[in-house]
Amino acid sequence: MGDGPRTLVIIPDKCVGCGTCKLACSMVKASGDAMRRTRIHIHNISRERYVQMTCLQCVDAACIKACDTGALMRNEATGAVELQENRCISCGLCEVACPFGHMHFNRATGKPEKCDLCSGDPACAKFCPHGALLYR
Amino acid sequence: MKITIDGKKVEAKRWDTVLTAARRAGIAIPSLCQLDSLENVGACRLCMVEVNHPHWRGAKLVTACEYPVESGLEVITTSEEVLRLRRANLDLLLARAPESRRLQQMSAEMGLEQSGYVRPDKGTACILCMLCTRVCEKLGCNAIAPAGRGLDKRIDTPFGGYPDTCIGCGACAAICPVDCIEMTDTAKTRTIWGRTFEFVKCAECGTPVITVEYRDYAIAHRSLPADYYNECSDCKRRKLAVKFAKVGG
Repeated sequence: MGDGPRTLVIIPDKCVGCGTCKLACSMVKASGDAMRRTRIHIHNISRERYVQMTCLQCVDAACIKACDTGALMRNEATGAVELQENRCISCGLCEVACPFGHMHFNRATGKPEKCDLCSGDPACAKFCPHGALLYR
Repeated sequence: MKITIDGKKVEAKRWDTVLTAARRAGIAIPSLCQLDSLENVGACRLCMVEVNHPHWRGAKLVTACEYPVESGLEVITTSEEVLRLRRANLDLLLARAPESRRLQQMSAEMGLEQSGYVRPDKGTACILCMLCTRVCEKLGCNAIAPAGRGLDKRIDTPFGGYPDTCIGCGACAAICPVDCIEMTDTAKTRTIWGRTFEFVKCAECGTPVITVEYRDYAIAHRSLPADYYNECSDCKRRKLAVKFAKVGG
């Protein structure tokens, strides 16, 4: 293990599209009731070709630049960009600004939802049965 | 400086409010209208606490979100009187907006089953918490503001007319704790505060992304390339996934 925070490594070659990561994410982040609202998505590119997509925790993050209130900040310990709910003014610009489509603005709560690496213990990587998501 | 909250010695910084000092120390005080990024206005009055000081002649009741700390301040967050006041305030808010999930949740936490008051027929659910106006101000638009006084006080556009400076971002509707701001989205337009906005449509699939005015605002006020606002999240994600698949071989 090198210096600095660990990262979530996505290995599409190993993904079979089983959706366990999505299920794990929904259980942890949405009490299992919203598979559409998970923070990880699986894209079926072609037959038997799947790519898992989740927030890449960009070094020069567009969401942080779009946020004028400092509600999105990097957690230096985990390297994740995290939302501080009590600073968020529900403007929704982060969702539109993310060039990779990984911010999900929840209209019901008025707050964006994003991957926060489960505060340093991502459930998706823990449950992936094929080693297609690694946290190292 | 040192202050005491519920008998616990707490370190507070200059310019802290009682609420921030308490939250930092892990002491929960309920609040509805307070956000760390907005000016505190003490509108909901649910964060009432009792403050006292050795140099004072007696305790007083204040809103924690507005009251600045001073050395030696003694704060009580759960006295009988404080809880009674908070419940009474919540009772009134709940009468205004009985359908609000947020208020229902708070009522359950405070042991208030249902409001003892009835809302007049004509009233709206607006509890005048000023979150919408402060959010609008924070974004620099100032399209809405409180208007009228007393029973007539309401949130409105300037003179109830066409909101020139509104950009249709929808932040006011999203932040409203009682969901009383009407916003209607169709496939092409968004209507809010009596004004209709055109949507920027996703360049790939045509789903509405943001209003044209909001995109122009974002281009002018945020340091991001202008083409960041042209596609929907699903299409952006799919594009990147296709790229990843190619790299994988």
